[in-house]
Amino acid sequence: MTVYDLRDVDHVYAGRAGPVHALRRVSLEVAPGEHVALLGPSGAGKSTLLRLLNATLRPAAGQLSFEGRDLSKLSGRELRVVRRRIGTIFQNPSLVPSLTALQNTLCGRLGRWGLFRSLRALIAPASEDVRAAGVALDTVGLTGKAGARADELSGGQQQRVAIARVLMQDPDVVLADEPFASLDPALTVQLADLLFEVTRGRTFVAAMHDVDLALQRFPRVVGVRAGQIAFDVPAGEVSPALLQSLYAREARRAG
Amino acid sequence: MRRAALAAAACAALIVCILGSGAHPSFDVRALAAFARGVFPPDLSPAFLGVVGAAIARTLGIALAGTALSIVWGLPLGILATPSLFRRGPLVAAERFGALSAALAAASLATRALLRFLRAVPDLVWALLFVVGFGLGPLPGALALGVSSAGILGRVYADLFEGVPPAPVVALHAAGASRMQVFAAAIWPQAAPSVAAYTLYSLECCVRAAAVLGFVGAGGIGGEINLSMRLFEYGQVLTLILAFVVVVLATDAASRRLRGRFQRNAVHGSSFLRGPVEGYAGRRGVHVLLWIALGAIAFQQAGFLGIAAPGLLGRFARFARQLFPPDLSGAFLGSLLEPLWQTVSISVIGTAIGIAVGGALALPATATLVLDRRDPPGFLGRAARLAAYAGSRLLLAMLRSIPELVWVLLCILAVGLGPFAGALAIGLHTAGVLGKLYAETLEEVPEAPVEELRAAGATRLQRLLWAMWPQARETLLGYTLLRWETNLRVSTVVGLVGGGGLGLALYNNVQLGFYARASTLVLLVYLLVSVTDWLSDRVRKPVVSAEAPPPSAMELVTAASGTPAAP
Repeated sequence: MTVYDLRDVDHVYAGRAGPVHALRRVSLEVAPGEHVALLGPSGAGKSTLLRLLNATLRPAAGQLSFEGRDLSKLSGRELRVVRRRIGTIFQNPSLVPSLTALQNTLCGRLGRWGLFRSLRALIAPASEDVRAAGVALDTVGLTGKAGARADELSGGQQQRVAIARVLMQDPDVVLADEPFASLDPALTVQLADLLFEVTRGRTFVAAMHDVDLALQRFPRVVGVRAGQIAFDVPAGEVSPALLQSLYAREARRAG
Repeated sequence: MRRAALAAAACAALIVCILGSGAHPSFDVRALAAFARGVFPPDLSPAFLGVVGAAIARTLGIALAGTALSIVWGLPLGILATPSLFRRGPLVAAERFGALSAALAAASLATRALLRFLRAVPDLVWALLFVVGFGLGPLPGALALGVSSAGILGRVYADLFEGVPPAPVVALHAAGASRMQVFAAAIWPQAAPSVAAYTLYSLECCVRAAAVLGFVGAGGIGGEINLSMRLFEYGQVLTLILAFVVVVLATDAASRRLRGRFQRNAVHGSSFLRGPVEGYAGRRGVHVLLWIALGAIAFQQAGFLGIAAPGLLGRFARFARQLFPPDLSGAFLGSLLEPLWQTVSISVIGTAIGIAVGGALALPATATLVLDRRDPPGFLGRAARLAAYAGSRLLLAMLRSIPELVWVLLCILAVGLGPFAGALAIGLHTAGVLGKLYAETLEEVPEAPVEELRAAGATRLQRLLWAMWPQARETLLGYTLLRWETNLRVSTVVGLVGGGGLGLALYNNVQLGFYARASTLVLLVYLLVSVTDWLSDRVRKPVVSAEAPPPSAMELVTAASGTPAAP
């Protein structure tokens, strides 16, 4: 069974000058455990596609199924169950600035906790949760930073906390929206290794701005352009011509 | 840990206050039921509507005349209190420090102290003193507003003059202009649009304040409410309260429109002196005439024609002499400890009630929490959510549009005379103010962290606890402390209408003609308010400055005036 099955999905949002088609008739299948890179110029609709995949947006038209269940037919509670099985890493992770790294990591568990436990965890978390969060922070290399407020951490450290939060969430699917775009090259390599470590054995869909990194690390590459799927091929078949046509307009504008 | 200590201290203070206040909550259900029956229908008979109309006219007259007086007073005091003109900075630096400069610097400092005193003593206390000095009627009300609002305006004017961009000031000074020339050519033109905006805002506050001055006999709509309460004409009370709310809302709307124009002009760099840019210049003469006519009517409504009555000023002078020297005997001071303590307790308990009720109402009033349409509705349908939102917003608006002192009268019906009525009244009004501020703070929290938790499967309440609350809590604490400061001012006067505390002691001593004691009490109120300001500043600064921007001048006005800014 597929994890994701998109059939002719449209997404429209209200822009200042009328409705904007972010996605047009997008069809895509993702199998369990598959690693897929999304490539394309900025504004092509990659972020919108990821927000549809993590079930925080609804398609305007078409069908979006997660493990065979049409997401538009789910209740709020069922949607939350789906969401807690999908971990998302955003380009600029928005941690809660006044909470500590440990508390931000614990946020990954919210989807499993009831109201009482989440209230208690905010004030005095259970020792087993603290231990699990500590392990997650160790894994991402933030040993000793558990008590630091999120807004005192560097950009790279915040991205690590976001990964630790995903570890706490222990999802079946990991989505990432240009996770390294705002990091310097050395950090990118470190964090990429970490992220691929974390996503081993899980389904992983990532929007990538670094084409070389995408081609090296992902077996399957999907090109998105102007809200449509331009190509969907194994990484080995991505030719320079294909890439040029994908980024063509951008190149012309830049030149 | 600092946070935990603060929370523990607040809880301890609340418990001590509840135990020690002598406030024994007891509800008189029958009186409340009688009130509820009597309130409907409101009295809309033509004869009474005439009374209401006259009372509104007099209230507006008091407010306008009071504002006019406070400008006349406040502008020179504000100039004198501006540090850069007389005490420090480039204008003064090169000056030879002679006797005249020293005298001016001292006068400038003294003016700041005077302004602080004028605004720290609540307007209702000023009104009580003027009522004793001049007799019942609107005149003492206008004078009281003139005095207390001059204290606020003077301070704000001084801050605005101090805060103008310094380049033109320095340039003119370097070219040999005198201090007053610099003021007229460089400081005033830059500050004028804001001065106009704050003055209008002050007028708005004065309308609110004028409505309750009648409780101590200073005329206007408050006097009518008081009278109808005493006559058990609850239908009339409702009509008067509704009329008052309408007047306040109308003033807010009018003032906001005018202020918006001044502020736009400030942004566009046009000065008030040259005339605001937007469709105003041509009709300027008409506007001036209109304001003069309005002012004349206001002064007439506020009873200023009677000021020339023979013996009136002499009578006031005789009263003023009796205020001095204040009674500082040990026995009297000792007897003030209890009311002082009661006043502090009233403010703390009132604020606690406000936090609890306001906080509970703020959650359904937070649009981002309740009206989020991106997910299918839970066990509450969309209609129910919308109803909860609209209902809580409406209730909050109602709670805050009725002034504390009117709430005191209503609470006395329910719980009897005494400090509990005062605390409950403050609590109800505060709930309306804080509830709205809480809801808006929660709505304005940065969305991205909340959205990330939603993506991880968190429920609404979890998002509230883990993302909205942590981002909002510093601001919420700041607002709450600011409100407590305001409530302390109010709690010194709730006693004037039967709510206990220092106000009651003041009222009794004035009634008995012990004016030397009354002036001691006024001093005590001043000290109490000053100490609280200082204390709250100390607590608030490290807390608020960490995340929120420093309070704007508008917030300073609000804090200084002790009048709710939230409409």
